[in-house]
Amino acid sequence: MRHHAKRNRLKPSNSLILTSLMDILTVLVLFLLKSFVIEGEVISPVPGVSLPESSSNTAPQSSIVIAIFNDSVMLNGEVVASVSRSVSSGDLLIAPLADKLDAAREQSAEIARLRGATEEFKGKVSIQGDREIDFAILQRVMYTCSVSGYEQISLAVIGTSS
Amino acid sequence: MRKVGRRDYRRTTEGELDLLPMMNVFIVLIPMLLTSAVFLKVTVIDTKVPSAAAAEPANEEASLSLAVTIKDDYFVVEGDGIAKQVIARADADADTQLALALANVVSNHPDNRDVMIISEPKTHYKDIIAVMDISRASGLPSASLVGAP
Repeated sequence: MRHHAKRNRLKPSNSLILTSLMDILTVLVLFLLKSFVIEGEVISPVPGVSLPESSSNTAPQSSIVIAIFNDSVMLNGEVVASVSRSVSSGDLLIAPLADKLDAAREQSAEIARLRGATEEFKGKVSIQGDREIDFAILQRVMYTCSVSGYEQISLAVIGTSS
Repeated sequence: MRKVGRRDYRRTTEGELDLLPMMNVFIVLIPMLLTSAVFLKVTVIDTKVPSAAAAEPANEEASLSLAVTIKDDYFVVEGDGIAKQVIARADADADTQLALALANVVSNHPDNRDVMIISEPKTHYKDIIAVMDISRASGLPSASLVGAP
């Protein structure tokens, strides 16, 4: 009996008031669920690239990624060429990038062959350019892509709509 | 006073929820969703390159060859049979003026969907994207990027 009384006395200070916490958590979970992306491919910007903003809301598709920022041109995370050297040479074609693109194409063709897939080479590439890069390098990269057979070029941007 | 005490007693015995499992679920869910949350939505703009094996412009008569040239301090909107317009970029409403000019062209030539964006080697990427945005908003979804000759 004495024990019981003690428990009763302690009860109000002992039990946590969880209602408000649960409210917060519920709102958080709903918010995060809302921002959970299911459709389309989620591509995250290459670190160091600040993409320009655009009103476009086309969903990105999986493809190889060329990132251009500071002084480097990166293909799938690997530096392949220097911006200043590519621009200063009068040639529109960036030879090292073209080599890597060809290698990537052959590799994907090989994988498709091994899997027995008959899908066509789609030639998709997305370019993640820093907002401060010049058109000269963008033009050279796009030219190199189209020469190497990658003709579906999409420019990655930060969507500001929605 | 006595009534209140009785209600308190009932709540602690009958109405007490066991919230621990739910808390556990939330605690697992929240980090998972936080890590997968996308706060910056990356989208793309599809472009086309004037391909190396330059396809013969079969319908040259029909094509308007509408072009927006981005210069250091002005935009030029020109094309076949379109009055050339020069818009100073220093103007606060340069973007609106460009949108208006393009919208005019679109309303006069509703079947034209193409626009060439002619940039100079030193043109910033963000300016090109801005012009592409404006032209897309004005009803010219198919922009091709061209270098200044």
